[in-house]
Amino acid sequence: MRRLILITLSLASFLSSAVSTSAQRSVSGTVVSGQEPVVGAFVYIQGTQSGTVTDADGHFVIAVSDGEILCVECLGYKTCKLAVEKDRMDYLVDLEVDSQMLEDVVVVGYGSMKKSDLTGSVASVKMEALQDRNSNSIEGLLQGRAAGLQVLNTSQDPGAGSIIRIRGNSSLNGSNTPLIVVDGFPLGEAGNLSQINPADIASVEILKDASAAAIYGSRGANGVILVQTKRAEKGKTTVSVKHQTTVGHFTEPLNIWRDPLLMAQISNEELVNAGLSPTYIGAYTNGVYYPSLLEIEEGKWSNTDWSKIALRTPVVNNTAASVAYSTDKVSMNLSLNYFDDQGVYIKDSFNKTNVNFNSIYHLSKAVTVQASSILSFHGRNVNNTLEYGRNPLWPVYDSNGEYFLTSETDFGHPLVTTDNVKNQTDGKDFITSLAIEAELVKGLKLRSQLNYSYLTSIQDIYYASNTSQDAYDLKGQAQMNTWSSQDILSETYLTYSGVSGRHDYSVMAGHSFDTAVARGLYTTAYGFVNDSLQNEDMSAGDPEKNYISNSYSDSRMLSFYGRANYAYDDRYLLTVTMRADGSSKFGAHSKWGYFPSAAVSWKLHNEEWMKKNRVFEEFKIRASFGVSGNQGISPYQTLNRFGTEKYWSDGKWQTAVGPGYEVGREGANDRYVIWGGISNPELKWETTSQFNIGADFTFKGNGPRITVDYYEKYTTDLLREKFLPLSSGYDKMWVNDGSILNRGFEVTVDANIVNKRDFSLSGTMIFSLNRNTVTGLGNAVSSGLNIDPATGMQYEFCGSSLDTFSATPCIYAVGYPMYSFYGYRVDGVIQKDEDPGFMSNDGKDMPGELKYVDLNGDYAIDERDRCVIGDPNPDFTASLNLSVRWKGLDASIFLNGVYGNDVIYNGYTFDPRVKVKRWTIDNPTDKYPSLNSTRSYLFSDYFIQDGSYLRIQNLSLGYTFNLRSILSSIRVFADVDNLYTFTSFDGYNPEVGVDGIYWGGYPKLIRWSLGVDINF
Amino acid sequence: MKMKKYILMMSVAALFITSCSLDERSYGFYSNDNFYKSEADATSALLYAYNALTFLEYSRGIFYLGDIPTETMSPKTDEAGDVYQLENWICTNQTEQLEYYFKFCYIAINRANSVLAYIDTPSVPVEAKKRISGEAYFLRAWNYFNLMRNFGKVPIHKEAVSELSMTTAPMAEDLDEIFEMIRSDCWKAISLLSVNKEFGRADKVAAESLLAKTYLTVASAKENKAYLYSDMDVTVSEMYDSSAFYAGKVINDYKEQYDFDEDLRHIYDVNYPDGPEHIFIMPIERSGTQEGNYSKLPLMFLPSNSSIPFYIKYSDDSLQKANGNGWGVFLCNDDFVENSFSAVDRRRTELIHRNIYDASGNPIVPNQVKGYYTSKYVDPDFIGERTSARPYLIRFSDIALVYAEAAGPVEGLPVLNRIRTRAGLIPLPEGLDTDVYRREVIKERALELAFEGNRLYDLRRTASVTLTDMKASGLSEMETAFFPIPQREIDLNPNLQ
Repeated sequence: MRRLILITLSLASFLSSAVSTSAQRSVSGTVVSGQEPVVGAFVYIQGTQSGTVTDADGHFVIAVSDGEILCVECLGYKTCKLAVEKDRMDYLVDLEVDSQMLEDVVVVGYGSMKKSDLTGSVASVKMEALQDRNSNSIEGLLQGRAAGLQVLNTSQDPGAGSIIRIRGNSSLNGSNTPLIVVDGFPLGEAGNLSQINPADIASVEILKDASAAAIYGSRGANGVILVQTKRAEKGKTTVSVKHQTTVGHFTEPLNIWRDPLLMAQISNEELVNAGLSPTYIGAYTNGVYYPSLLEIEEGKWSNTDWSKIALRTPVVNNTAASVAYSTDKVSMNLSLNYFDDQGVYIKDSFNKTNVNFNSIYHLSKAVTVQASSILSFHGRNVNNTLEYGRNPLWPVYDSNGEYFLTSETDFGHPLVTTDNVKNQTDGKDFITSLAIEAELVKGLKLRSQLNYSYLTSIQDIYYASNTSQDAYDLKGQAQMNTWSSQDILSETYLTYSGVSGRHDYSVMAGHSFDTAVARGLYTTAYGFVNDSLQNEDMSAGDPEKNYISNSYSDSRMLSFYGRANYAYDDRYLLTVTMRADGSSKFGAHSKWGYFPSAAVSWKLHNEEWMKKNRVFEEFKIRASFGVSGNQGISPYQTLNRFGTEKYWSDGKWQTAVGPGYEVGREGANDRYVIWGGISNPELKWETTSQFNIGADFTFKGNGPRITVDYYEKYTTDLLREKFLPLSSGYDKMWVNDGSILNRGFEVTVDANIVNKRDFSLSGTMIFSLNRNTVTGLGNAVSSGLNIDPATGMQYEFCGSSLDTFSATPCIYAVGYPMYSFYGYRVDGVIQKDEDPGFMSNDGKDMPGELKYVDLNGDYAIDERDRCVIGDPNPDFTASLNLSVRWKGLDASIFLNGVYGNDVIYNGYTFDPRVKVKRWTIDNPTDKYPSLNSTRSYLFSDYFIQDGSYLRIQNLSLGYTFNLRSILSSIRVFADVDNLYTFTSFDGYNPEVGVDGIYWGGYPKLIRWSLGVDINF
Repeated sequence: MKMKKYILMMSVAALFITSCSLDERSYGFYSNDNFYKSEADATSALLYAYNALTFLEYSRGIFYLGDIPTETMSPKTDEAGDVYQLENWICTNQTEQLEYYFKFCYIAINRANSVLAYIDTPSVPVEAKKRISGEAYFLRAWNYFNLMRNFGKVPIHKEAVSELSMTTAPMAEDLDEIFEMIRSDCWKAISLLSVNKEFGRADKVAAESLLAKTYLTVASAKENKAYLYSDMDVTVSEMYDSSAFYAGKVINDYKEQYDFDEDLRHIYDVNYPDGPEHIFIMPIERSGTQEGNYSKLPLMFLPSNSSIPFYIKYSDDSLQKANGNGWGVFLCNDDFVENSFSAVDRRRTELIHRNIYDASGNPIVPNQVKGYYTSKYVDPDFIGERTSARPYLIRFSDIALVYAEAAGPVEGLPVLNRIRTRAGLIPLPEGLDTDVYRREVIKERALELAFEGNRLYDLRRTASVTLTDMKASGLSEMETAFFPIPQREIDLNPNLQ
């Protein structure tokens, strides 16, 4: 245990001791903590500047006078004071560790508590580590910052949010996204809290187990993220301004054709192999002239790099200013934030302006009023479908200087699209809350909070007639859509806490009423005289082609909740919570749901027999069990519902109404309707029972703190659709049926490795492991489950269908993780004269084709040869953050990794890099099939790759100038996001959605930021 | 003072509790609570029942089920597996198109049942009540008739399904039960309805036509000992007579509204859905916004010309514009076109083609035409893929041939010959033996109603599927008499197990 000696301090102390006055004598001593000597502790006389520093053995010598107070100070320990005693020459000072981490207050649902008193599983995110990254919302930054929290930043679109999961997926048809609660106001699903600048956030808590989350009842099953915004520090007025500019570039080159001759050769080869005539022969195909290979070779045709036309180097600017002011009576915070996010595609952008104001008035000692308001204005201009991989032979302009188009119905020119498509969404959000807190009698506090949010957006769309087939056929397509939602929530709760001897207790009870309304108006018009007005006059279109629809949903929830905490002698802790939720969304026969939880905890370190141990400063074990819910149901889903269609009668379109309405579609191009609408008054929430056992250890001597948790989370009553007999006139109805089990293990290690005045080094390591299993899908017959012929596995397809395979790759299968991949196996490529082991009447058994494995040995490849071929759920995720500070300089590095997940590389064989390596007679590779433009691929493990990766997610470096003027400090910082990814995945980015499907897109961006943070 | 504030606050909070109701009232959609209150509601519900037929699961099913499993038409080679199953007579109870067709018949039945369940509202005037319920009875009969000739014995729903307990209906005892139901619904429809020709809706004449078709199906099927029909407790001659009676009314009594259309091409002109031939036709219109409201039927029949519209040339050198992006799914079989039709048959020369032309009338060569295609479903005014081409559900000529067949060689022959004459054929001679004559009528039906979703049912009721369609030659008439009831119905309806 080496420690740096504070040379300057010791020098000063020797100097001061040299000039000490005569009535003094010298005493010596040793500073220890437990059995260990404390090196570098500052020992001084209270009220003087004179002092010394302990040496490598913890010894010190100091001149004292009787009656003076000796003080010993060391970072990481509580300051110790003792009186100088007459005739005593030798002092042993035992410093107590200042377990600041354990004294931290943690926000929990409807209250807060000391971190050391937690009985449930709650992870706190260290906000200071996140502040250098330029982000629209907090969620994306949480990746790797809390055990059990999975964050997928799959989109790089401007203003895009993230996919958030806590302890795995537990619903098939309901949401799997945790609830996000900001300053006590549940705002809905986490993912993109763009209304709040991450710099304004003081703390983020992740409620994981039932004891922590069940207080949120029917909305707690997916876990809860609690966000607290910053409040002014007492007695201070601070003004700060922060600006950050970020520039991004691709981590790897785009995967497009750069050699047009090679592209043309490949194209001809794949057409010829398919038995079609090649296009690059200097002739017209479908009205477009395709040059011959010779013409291309002669260089008369262009080689346009469309990525240079369609894409750009995106710049992100983020400016924030805030004022915090506080006196005994009033405190307030005002912060402004302007954020401008450019996309990779030209004119693809997002910007927002946020105003966040909160104030606290202490009316009297007992009564406090709080008000907070958030205003957010945001705009998104969408232009992200440009064809950067357009045929390089096509020039940008034709000989007349007009955009070059291959035909009247060529809608692929990026500049034509950019100039003629309008797709803009503007939003205004207003979120406010008013709270009053009063101490009615000593220990009894009442808090009543009224929350209100009003979110609106308006979308303007116009497709000029040269930008899409529909717009071409119908002469322009205009849309104007508006949407708004309003939520009013009143919460009132009483908290009583007290101490009586060794009994420490608090009780909270309250109720809330929530009413939410959302509505939308959607208008579409076609048939404009020309494109110049775009959607500015919706009535200028063909009057026969105006379409209007609107939506409305209304839901109400009434809740009662309570919690009791009890601690005996600070050793045994008990927490019991209960919530009852009544929701208008639930079926008429299941209006009320009850969600109890209980947790116990034992602080072993406070036991007499543990107090003398040399290892643990803290040793606590915890266990909890409880039930929470997932609402999943949308309003009106439990009611009988009629459908509305149009019917041509009497020479006009008439509205037809009757039983059964369209609840979905199926089949190729979604051509077949699925009918629902029959009521289920029994329909209710999904129920999650969770068991959690955990322990917290802190090692003595400012050692690391380790938190481990094991959980089992069992979700039942899954919302599923049950099939009805065809003759009923309906396809499906919603029922509660099916179950999922998530089990997992989490470890967090927090260590302050070095903690000195001028130098500190700290690190956090996080490890999370979750095992997800679908344990029940209800009755196989009425659920319409498929049966795997080889194993008897019951399954159903889920999620997106992939055009490459005309198949849905993911399944829910009993006994397997959600989204498991189900398809064929491939064993290389069929070589010349090789017996592939099967026969096929569409040429799949020819040389150069993929060699599918005939699993059932019937010498044919058909649906019975499928099996489970992959799992997109990671084996584990891990992250490491290291922060170092030396004087004004600070630096941090953050590594994030995912291991053992499979990814479907959709369209792998369409990748130019793969095409050029194709099988031919002369290149009998076993890895890449021959080219064939009309080949239909079966979904197979050939398209599955390992998605494991380790990413240097973030590197930041800052320097703080501490100034003793009006300016109190300036920090300049540089930050690199997504520096490098170690992975064997062949696509751009293995970080894909929960279903493991890789959709291509464009490479991950490295983002370089420079910023300055000025504090007055 | 302060306490007052708290009390006030608490009571405000308490107010929230008491004012709160967790009941849910439907908003923005209709349900039993806010519907079936007026004549407009009832009409709208009736149109909803009709509308079930326009979904492509049903409208394409007409051809998948009625023509594909016969010698007249085949799908293109790479068509989906279930269509291939129908073509080759290897369909199972999992064949999707059968499931879809079955389902949509019942969706229409449930919607019709719902109209009948609620029509007895005092606010609906008597005349309207008669018309609406008459049409609902017709629709119910229409769908049970199609279910019967496709699937044989099927579950019987006589009431609207409004809750889970009503979703499993009993299986019909025998075909008599279904026949009785169709007959009584038709009778009710005939007595409630008047002659009221309206594009997209059925009237008294449609009900009489349906009843005539039903009698004829039962008569000939019983006579030819078709599977299950042979067990029916009916008299063949009585069935023929009843069929001739109702068909005779249709072809003789309403000449103002319904009659032969002397111009063959006019029958198939999408701009004249109210022509004299059309007794019941699907109301499809190209201005619709979703498939079903408009149709892509021409794309199913027409060959591809790489999305460039082409022209069809008729014998008078006139040109008809057609979609250039056809999929060529439904191909007229060479043998049927070349050998069943006479070379001078105008239904062959005008309505079946092999070439495509440009706007100036020059043939486009090379082209992607894969076989004969019919021009019965062409909309020259198509908007992109949207067309007004419609399936012909009940055509005057169909009922005329029903009459010709049911009435026998003496009274029927003039009607049969009228159709032959229109097609440019020589009349059949008098004095044919009844059996021979009826076979001639069936043949004429194949030509006249070719590619209109009719052929299979004529083959089935004459127990001649396996003799006619080579693909069914390895099967027995019993095996081809009906399609299997879909697996999902068997699995989920305990009454079928």
